[in-house]
Amino acid sequence: MSAPSPDAVIESVAELLAHALELEYASKAHYEQLADSMNVHHNTAVADLFCSFATLSADHAAAVAARAGDTDLPRIPPWGFKWLCPDAPEGGDCLDPALSYGMSTVQALEVALHNERRSRAYYAHCAASAALPEARRLAADMAAEAAEHIALLEQMLADERRRHRDTPDDLDPPHVPA
Amino acid sequence: MHEPSDQSLEAASPPRPSGKPQAQRGKQAQPTPPAREPSARQPSPRHRASIPSLRAQIYKSHIKPVWCPGCGHFGVLAALTKTLAHLELPPERVAVVSGIGCSSRLPAYLAVHGFHGLHGRALPLAAGLKSARPELTVIVAGGDGDGFSIGGNHFLHACRRNQDLTYIVMDNEVYGMTKGQASPTTQPDWCRSKLTPQGTGIRRFQPAAIALAAGASFIARGFAGAPAGLTRLLAAAIEHPGFAFVHVLSPCRTFRPEQQHWKQQVHPCELEPAQDLAQAAALMQRDDGMALGILFRQRIPVYAAGVAPITEQALRQIAAHSGALAEIEAELCR
Amino acid sequence: MHPPALRPTASQLALAVTGAGGSGAVTAGLILLEAVAAAGLQGLLRRSAGPQIRGGESAALLRFGPDPVLCAGDRCDLLAALDWDNHARFADEIPLDKASLVLADPAAGALPDAVVASGAKVRHMEFRANARQRSGGRANMVAVGALGALAGLPLRALLDGAARTLGAKGDAVVSGAQACIGAGHALADPADLLRETCDIDPHPRVRWHINGNEAAGLGALRAGVRFVAAYPITPASEMLEWLAPRLERLGGTLLQAEDELASVNMLIGSAFGGVPALTATSGPGLSLMLEGIGLAVASETPIVVVDVMRGGPSTGIPTKSEQSDLNAALYGLHGDAPHLVLAALDIADCTHTVAWAVRLAWRLQTAAIVLSDQSLGQSRAVCEPVAPDLRRPAGDATALRGPLLASDAVYRRYAVTADGISPMSVPGETGRTYTADGLEHDPEGTPSSRAADHATQLDKRQRKLMTFDFGPDWAEILDGDHDPAQADAGLRLCLLSFGALRGAVVEAAERLRADGWDVRSIALRLLAPLQCEALRAAIGQALVLVVEQNHGAQLFHYLHAEQALPAAARSLARPGPLPLRPGEIVAAAAQLLAEDPHARA
Repeated sequence: MSAPSPDAVIESVAELLAHALELEYASKAHYEQLADSMNVHHNTAVADLFCSFATLSADHAAAVAARAGDTDLPRIPPWGFKWLCPDAPEGGDCLDPALSYGMSTVQALEVALHNERRSRAYYAHCAASAALPEARRLAADMAAEAAEHIALLEQMLADERRRHRDTPDDLDPPHVPA
Repeated sequence: MHEPSDQSLEAASPPRPSGKPQAQRGKQAQPTPPAREPSARQPSPRHRASIPSLRAQIYKSHIKPVWCPGCGHFGVLAALTKTLAHLELPPERVAVVSGIGCSSRLPAYLAVHGFHGLHGRALPLAAGLKSARPELTVIVAGGDGDGFSIGGNHFLHACRRNQDLTYIVMDNEVYGMTKGQASPTTQPDWCRSKLTPQGTGIRRFQPAAIALAAGASFIARGFAGAPAGLTRLLAAAIEHPGFAFVHVLSPCRTFRPEQQHWKQQVHPCELEPAQDLAQAAALMQRDDGMALGILFRQRIPVYAAGVAPITEQALRQIAAHSGALAEIEAELCR
Repeated sequence: MHPPALRPTASQLALAVTGAGGSGAVTAGLILLEAVAAAGLQGLLRRSAGPQIRGGESAALLRFGPDPVLCAGDRCDLLAALDWDNHARFADEIPLDKASLVLADPAAGALPDAVVASGAKVRHMEFRANARQRSGGRANMVAVGALGALAGLPLRALLDGAARTLGAKGDAVVSGAQACIGAGHALADPADLLRETCDIDPHPRVRWHINGNEAAGLGALRAGVRFVAAYPITPASEMLEWLAPRLERLGGTLLQAEDELASVNMLIGSAFGGVPALTATSGPGLSLMLEGIGLAVASETPIVVVDVMRGGPSTGIPTKSEQSDLNAALYGLHGDAPHLVLAALDIADCTHTVAWAVRLAWRLQTAAIVLSDQSLGQSRAVCEPVAPDLRRPAGDATALRGPLLASDAVYRRYAVTADGISPMSVPGETGRTYTADGLEHDPEGTPSSRAADHATQLDKRQRKLMTFDFGPDWAEILDGDHDPAQADAGLRLCLLSFGALRGAVVEAAERLRADGWDVRSIALRLLAPLQCEALRAAIGQALVLVVEQNHGAQLFHYLHAEQALPAAARSLARPGPLPLRPGEIVAAAAQLLAEDPHARA
């Protein structure tokens, strides 16, 4: 089973719903993992923030699931999704340079904002390219919702930046020669 | 390279601040209890079957990884759980065996059978398990130091033996758990370790080429930063009959921050995997170590010797001193 | 003080056949042992060989009689030398004296000085010339006939022995050999007979014809071992070669590993999968396996390692016996790693001890090291069989699972229990997945460096072994014909040994008793955990002589460290390669008794 070609488009509403659900559940899993990771590294403020993002993703997933109802969704292998980036737009990039044991809440919000923007870009792409008008309409709705999330995150980020101007020092640097 | 004493950070999770649900080891995770829209919060079984990230949850344990945020191994963990979900392998029929090192912590993070064994000895432990229980899916995981240095001999012979195992090496070109020493895949002039301040001066171990020379029948390279592609390689490796070696470029955030650039350096390998040795050898000659995909795949006889299921009848025969064992004993008698 | 005179054990004869490359001394020994079996007698055949892969000089050393043969004995009654090319190599192993008889082929040249100096009677016999007169004739077969005749073995038994030993080579070879045996039998002078010729037993008892490596392999199969992983090593390889095809017949398999680091870890993998597994090795291999054995202890995965000991340290003397791996087996593991160490007491006992070790390892979920040695592994006996164990074998999943603790809502692989034994699941069991770990862990198996977890798990792993009732098999305690109820009262001396030294010690104890001493022999089969209280009770107020075959008196020091010995206990420790003979033990015991201030009136 090969990966889809880069110019493949969403063919149906069911396929769009499957992509949206995968996007949200991948996002939830990623934020849960980040929250765990920050807890292990005793960065509870950021852990709590990632936890709340995971909750939001779960809410979004639930909303998509409600919309999908009893629709028969296609069974897509993990590598068969028609993303624009290497993985689900909100599945998170484990190599994101912002990720660090001592990252700040500002950086955490920046990570979330980046993911949400990729999400909106993806839905906007589907709204423009999906084969069926119904799928295009649904994608446009989802893009609009993502835009609302972006606005919310931007507001949170602005507030957070006002509160925390400094980037944290690394007081536990790796054991390497000076 | 041995485990430092103060590194055992894993602990069973306390309740998450948000009260989020978690997968229980050996149990299927349940989604969050409904708050406002009961039916909407419960994904239908249909959805569960269709959504890899949802299915993957049942393969995750409740143990929190000790890896540094930004570590490539998170990508491998996510890809592996999605692959197991895609292949619909029952968790109790899967065993993941590892050695020692950061990447070898993997089994504890999975809700399958696991063995976190000795440094460098994951492959033979897995070989014994597969021989004893041929019906299990046995996956071996570890790092470059574990697999290519202290366990190098086992790597050669596991390739030769061609037993039906999948071997995932998360290569970050450094010993992370012992705090940043040069590994067999480290560049000879890398001098960021206090142990080898002038660099090792030793040529790098070439995992794929050595696997080919040693007789591996499946060789692939993946990148932790491209988990979707990695799931495809892992699925192909697990389904490959014989020894499948998956070399995963998995950057170390802490000791090799320059590996951040791998994202720009990786590229797909030639479209079709080589199927004959000469072709594969030529491909390896051209390989810059950053080509992703299946590099070599060949159907050759699989090492299939294994223990037959021990039946109740066999147990009774032994207790009754009859059957094949009694015949063997008779041969010793005069 | 003079040691008591060495008395030939009247009912048993010791024969030897020696020869240079290709002379067939070992084949001659095998035929003679088969003849011993056919005559309804019991025997012990040792072999000694040079380092050559083929064509090396070799000696076959056979002792036999109507009773169980305990050890090599002190002397050689009858030697047939096919040539004298490398006799010096064996001179120490074949003690000749004035009562000995040597059969020499005049064509082989002058007698070595050592043979002349022994004062042994010499009879010239033309082995080669007689062989040459017959088609396909071989000098070693002529020697078999002559030796057999002088040792009182019936010709029919010798001919049957040849047919059994050489049958696979075809009828022509067998009939050629039988013709030579007949010729050799006729060469013997009836005046030289060492023993009255016996008859073939018309109603023979069933006896084993077995070497220690095969016996150990059989013990493994009996106890349920179905997976073996191993790396070839002298003198353990025959166990593996014997097991490979027989495991296949039982649905099991043998995997030849790349090294011992691999083989021990393969066992752990198999046992984790629920299939009982064993390996056989010798000292150098044991050293490589120690880290893996520690993993089995920490992860509570049952494995069994049979160490067929040879001369050490390092590569040592690979073809000769020694008991010098005891320290490595007891103390080799790093960290606090309580495990089982057992030792087989004789060739047949290899079956019993290995089977017991497998069952104990699974019952207690830990590693067992079984000490055998070259003198057991590569020696062949005709002996009483060990009765089969009719219990269900190890690895029976129903026995492993154990009850979930009432307090446990979830499965805890390393749950802390009263007896220290936790429920062990195997792959395939739904809801009971876990990750076995060599890192210290909590009851669930999660890695932990907490002091409380470390202490709890260390205690648990020790408690398993310390509270278990090992029953009477921990040692063999013999008091001769003394009434056991009265034995303690007059007991003067305990001869304490482990493993293969048991035979020489029992024979020495019999001789001392014949001289009127109250002597008990104690042969330890279970070395760890040491059954200290039982051992102290068995010793009572008696003198103790600890007998072992190594240079450092390893058992003696171990028993002292465990406070199992009285302060006055003495040590008789001698390294290989020569067997420790009963006469040496009798001499040392006699000296100890003579020095005792409470000496018998």
